[in-house]
Amino acid sequence: MDLRLNEDQEMFKKVAGDFVQAEAPTTMLTQQFLKKETFLPDLYAKIAGLGWLGMLMPEQYGGAGLSYLDCGVVFEELGRGPVPGPVFSSGVLAAQIVLDGGSDAQKQELLPAICGGDAIVIPAIGDHGAHWGPETVATTCSQSGDTLTLQGTKRHVYDAGGATAFLCAVRGGDGGVSVVLVDRNAPGVTVTPHTGFMVSVSEVSLDGVQVPAGNLIGSAGAGWELLDKAAEKAIPILCAYKVGACQEVYEFTVQYTNERRAFGQLIGRFQRVQDHCVELSIHMDRARMATYETLWLLDEGMPAEAGIHESKAAASEGYHQACSYSHMVHAGPGTDYLHPLMVHSVLAHTLYQYLGTPDYHKRRMVDALYPRT
Amino acid sequence: MDFNLQEDSPEMTEFRKEVRAWMEENMQGGEHLRWSASWSTREDEEEYGFRRALGEKLGKKGWLFPMFPEEYGGAGLSVDHQFVLETELSRYGLNLTHIFYTLARIVAPVLLHWGSEEQKREFLPPITRGEIVVWQVLTEPQSGSDVANCQTRAIRDGDDYVVNGQKVMVGHHLPPDALWTLVCTDPDGKRHENLSWLHIPANLPGVTIQHMHLMMGIKNAVFFDNVRVPAKYLVGGENNGWKVAHTHLELEHGGDGRVGTDPVVDRVVDYCRNHDVGGKPLIDDPHVRDTIADMILEINTVNRMNRRIFWHRFVKQPHAYGGAQFRYYQRMVRLRNGERLQKIMGADALIPDHSVHEVLDFEYVIRSGPGQLHGGGTLDTDRLIFARRAGIGRATKEQAPDTV
Repeated sequence: MDLRLNEDQEMFKKVAGDFVQAEAPTTMLTQQFLKKETFLPDLYAKIAGLGWLGMLMPEQYGGAGLSYLDCGVVFEELGRGPVPGPVFSSGVLAAQIVLDGGSDAQKQELLPAICGGDAIVIPAIGDHGAHWGPETVATTCSQSGDTLTLQGTKRHVYDAGGATAFLCAVRGGDGGVSVVLVDRNAPGVTVTPHTGFMVSVSEVSLDGVQVPAGNLIGSAGAGWELLDKAAEKAIPILCAYKVGACQEVYEFTVQYTNERRAFGQLIGRFQRVQDHCVELSIHMDRARMATYETLWLLDEGMPAEAGIHESKAAASEGYHQACSYSHMVHAGPGTDYLHPLMVHSVLAHTLYQYLGTPDYHKRRMVDALYPRT
Repeated sequence: MDFNLQEDSPEMTEFRKEVRAWMEENMQGGEHLRWSASWSTREDEEEYGFRRALGEKLGKKGWLFPMFPEEYGGAGLSVDHQFVLETELSRYGLNLTHIFYTLARIVAPVLLHWGSEEQKREFLPPITRGEIVVWQVLTEPQSGSDVANCQTRAIRDGDDYVVNGQKVMVGHHLPPDALWTLVCTDPDGKRHENLSWLHIPANLPGVTIQHMHLMMGIKNAVFFDNVRVPAKYLVGGENNGWKVAHTHLELEHGGDGRVGTDPVVDRVVDYCRNHDVGGKPLIDDPHVRDTIADMILEINTVNRMNRRIFWHRFVKQPHAYGGAQFRYYQRMVRLRNGERLQKIMGADALIPDHSVHEVLDFEYVIRSGPGQLHGGGTLDTDRLIFARRAGIGRATKEQAPDTV
């Protein structure tokens, strides 16, 4: 047992931490989140330049070939911003789907472009609902000759704003789920950003969109298994991002208890306020410990399924709860969209159900540990 | 990072084999005993006798305190050895040092840290070798969490301290050999500067112990009536007791850390596989599975917090808020799990009957749930300590004392 980062990881942490402070300062992020302009092309290009897209991808495809822990350390720092943009959705999740399911030619064509930041490929999986599962896929796909025709609406697509292409889950005539690459600019594709208490989410409608049959990623009808396995590998990285976000929320919340005075004393002297900080710390540490143990399991090639789903449940719930407790401490000032808490609060609500709700992942965890009879 | 709890270095693989074989041999004859979580609060002389003998055997090998120097009754081994011992013992639901009822796991490190050379040589080996039972006796009728409000007096008279006062809600149904206690040595002194620690042989004239029947099981009231305690039994210096208390309370308040795991979830799953409703096994009931999921998430967190404290302690970088956070959370989880057991098992969970469910008695988890919330200090003191350590409402974070 050893809880220390290695030298390389300490360096990644430092470089990523400095980058976030310099390139994505809170004052900028609050403005961008308020305007709901969270895809920042210049920032994304710098991230690509640093090699943080496709960190898990093999070097032959333009990736960095790093470990899960290495990648997790960087994403934890990005979460502290929280740095927005499709660093995870394209650079980790979509890349994994292509790596696991793509043909050699597709991998050669897509992965270097994803890792270099020239292609931004966004998974568009469920059509509606909070869950992660094949039952959420309703968009239809019919084949005629060498052409596939897609019809349907993906209601909640995270990071759709900057996409150059989508990896769409579709349902074929036989009812099976497949994954199809769809160009953002193909006729019939419409991306409509959502308003409301979330960011970086758009509705992507596919109205008679025609794509070549060669755009199928993986075997027809085997799409759900491909997506599920790829998501399992990617999810702990997303969790590390939320852990970093929780850490940032925790730190500025503790700092506030040392600045704000009420009833003649620092608010941190009130035991009720202290209690909120205790609960916040538990949610943060619960997510942190589950996530890092899972990243380590993946690096070691050990069974990680239960840990993956546990981490997702703990991190989604933890980020959400961390923000709620921080709101209790901050009261009024924390509700100003120019306050850093609002950036996190909006993002925590956005990510709560992304790739499945905490309840869904808790069930997957129990299924992995104790299969039904 | 390395979270491995199973794989060892070649040296530790050998040691693990040695420990496992030793345990198999020495657990023989105890198979029919209950080995349940409630052992320390039950009056089961046979199980207790077995535990006591096992503790002594472990102590003879230095394995109760593997990292202590040999001259103080330890084995002079490394943290890796301690890790192996803890994980192997936890296979039997046993915790290192707490094999039978004794507070040695707290008292011994405090003595090691604060005792004079003479005191360490005299007091430590019988404790660390498992030869004697030592109770910590801190709570008084008028001072629970506020332990510094200690009213038991120890007034110097010649070569002795004369002790008068009362401690409550301590110990176990069988008597102790020694009492480790906080006393007031300067009744007119300032708070925190008037206290001292005494290591009191329990057989001294004037010591009376009476059972108290509490929710958690049998505890005791201890009366001191003009007990003459030789001055050499005062540890850490006269009126320096509050500093000694920092070490003691850090260990009691979660700062010691463990690597063993709580087996409650596996036991519940076993029960749910073997019991059904309307022909369907409970384990397939979606509500039961959801309840089990919540238990797993919380128990895993408790275990990980505990391991994190263990690791920080032994790399000599005590985790500032980890102990207080763990202790608060662990006790709340225990309370919630009590309710969850009732949700799943109904009244079965309230019956301490091993024909209904084996090994770990859920009844004890439920019954002790509210009671264990305040043992050694309330949840509120845990959260207060957290706030000091994490720097909530204070510019300077209080450091955790060194407890190794």
